Amino acid sequence: MLGVRNYSIATKLTVVNMLVSGAALVIACLVFVAYDLISFRQSMVYNLSIQAQMAGSNSVSPLLFNDPQAAENTLSALRAARSVVSAGIYTLDGRPFATYWRDGLDQPLTPPQVPAGKTELHWFKDGQLALVRSIVFQGKPTGIVYIRSDLRDMTLRLQRYAGIAAMVLVASLLAALLVASMFQRAVAQPIVHLAQTARIVSRDKNYAMRATPTGKRDEPDVLIGAFNEMLEQIQERDSALRKAHDELEQNVQERTAQLAASNKELEAFSYSVSHDLRAPLRGIDGFSLALLEDYADRLDDEGKIHLQRIRAATQRMGLLIDDLLNLSRMTRAEIRKEVVNLSALAHSVAEVVQETLPERRIEFRIEDRLEARVDPNLMRVVLENLLGNACKFTSKRASACIEFGKTHCNGSSAYFVRDNGAGFDPAYANRLFGAFQRFHGTSEFPGTGIGLATVQRIIHRHGGKIWAEGAVEKGAVFYFTL
Amino acid sequence: MTARHIRAITVGVAWILFIASCLRAQQSNPTEYQVKAAYLYNFGRFVEWPAKTASAGDLFSICVLGDDPFGVTLDKTIAGENINGKKAVVKRIARPQDAVHCHILFISSTEESRLKEILAALDGTSVLTVSDIPQFTRRGGMIQFVMEANRVRFEVNLTTAERDGLTLSSQLLKVAVNVRRSPQPGG
Repeated sequence: MLGVRNYSIATKLTVVNMLVSGAALVIACLVFVAYDLISFRQSMVYNLSIQAQMAGSNSVSPLLFNDPQAAENTLSALRAARSVVSAGIYTLDGRPFATYWRDGLDQPLTPPQVPAGKTELHWFKDGQLALVRSIVFQGKPTGIVYIRSDLRDMTLRLQRYAGIAAMVLVASLLAALLVASMFQRAVAQPIVHLAQTARIVSRDKNYAMRATPTGKRDEPDVLIGAFNEMLEQIQERDSALRKAHDELEQNVQERTAQLAASNKELEAFSYSVSHDLRAPLRGIDGFSLALLEDYADRLDDEGKIHLQRIRAATQRMGLLIDDLLNLSRMTRAEIRKEVVNLSALAHSVAEVVQETLPERRIEFRIEDRLEARVDPNLMRVVLENLLGNACKFTSKRASACIEFGKTHCNGSSAYFVRDNGAGFDPAYANRLFGAFQRFHGTSEFPGTGIGLATVQRIIHRHGGKIWAEGAVEKGAVFYFTL
Repeated sequence: MTARHIRAITVGVAWILFIASCLRAQQSNPTEYQVKAAYLYNFGRFVEWPAKTASAGDLFSICVLGDDPFGVTLDKTIAGENINGKKAVVKRIARPQDAVHCHILFISSTEESRLKEILAALDGTSVLTVSDIPQFTRRGGMIQFVMEANRVRFEVNLTTAERDGLTLSSQLLKVAVNVRRSPQPGG
């Protein structure tokens, strides 16, 4: 509304007040001025008519006795009427008989005919009022009087009116301003105060603020009361929420501490178990070897085979323990992330793997320029395991092909290791990453079943995910994100 | 529009202007006695007669004593006119005694020689006397026509008129060329 949209309610109220009173005043003034001008015009016509009548009746004898000088003397009495510009007495046939000019001009004027049945005619034209009247003496038309008046009086009056109206307007607007300011104190002030409080509350999130009630039992007061009540409810809810949150936090901390303690205990336990298990194993292996070497002549072939089996089993158990320790180390090792060229890392791992299997012909397809922020040591473990697994499960293939690259999957990028090896039953895809989970016989593909568990642990600690796709004898793909 | 057309129109306009100016001249220059006849009639409209004269009869008589210089002009002027609610008539009289019932008496200049006798005959009556005779107002007449700059004007002897009970309107006196207030002794 009139560009006051952004102003406060107090300003709006004041503006509305001023506009209303101003409009009312302007209309009232206009009506008064119009009324006065109309009646003033009427009185001007009336006065001019009287002057015309007087000039006319005083010109009867000059007209009848052909004495223009006497008529002009009569007309010159009009000098007292300052607004009369010119006047003229005309004979019945329209010839000028006597004239009067206020400003000394002396132009012939031709009066219009007075219509039959009328004695007088007047009109406003060119800022002048003109009046023509027939002079009647003893019931007989004797001549014509033509008189013209300027509207100076009317202009003066209008100017005076405009001045008065302007003063009244200014005074009234000042009064309206005064009233508006009082009104503002009563109505707008509480609302403005409420708005300020609301702004502070929402800006500072300080729900302890309260708006001051007016104490007048009016709508603004109700509004303020409701607002304060709302703030109180928010505060109550806040404190309840904080309490619940604090309790939860405490619970979580307690649980976390418990969990950490039991985890530590478990890790220490498994470490010590693994570590301590190695000593007796070494004993068994060592003494089995001693038995084989020192008492070979006293053992028959079957005894030697048994001893060989004992040794193989012991060594396998040693490997198992190593892997378990590895897994536990991976779990505890601190992660140091840096930008690693995954392509180069994969090449170097592939080289090592290929060296350990010189009899195999394996084709590695490694995508170039793969980089990521990871822990290089842990990442090497991941690639060793995944590429090693791929080599292991393609051992039955005449030509093994192992790919490492990056792909887009579900809207995010994921790295993958694909092989064309033995694959797996998709039904077990989720169980692949559990420790000691094996889907092939040890004789078929050697391994401890710890590798993928370790890989998963590392990927999880990097905040990524790992999953696998595959089918029996159709190869396998391992995807992981970082 | 050819030059011939323009010339024809110019000649036509010139003729119209000429005829109009002739008519105007005729209108604006009435003869001396036409003016005087109108004045006689108008005197009747600006003068009040005493009640006894005013109520007597229902005719307003304008009399001409002596040779009538007006001819039909006076009759034409007052034909059908009323003065003070009475029908105006013209009477031509020969004897001063006949003038006592007149409202206005125009004394022809042919009567100058017996003016004193005429005025004496009207003594005590309320007859407005008007004449061309020089020194008329000095010699006991009431209104005397005078020529001034080729215009007909008049002098008034107010004392004489008032003595005979006539009231002359100030409007009339306003346009008189001269208003005498006291008669010449023995005039």
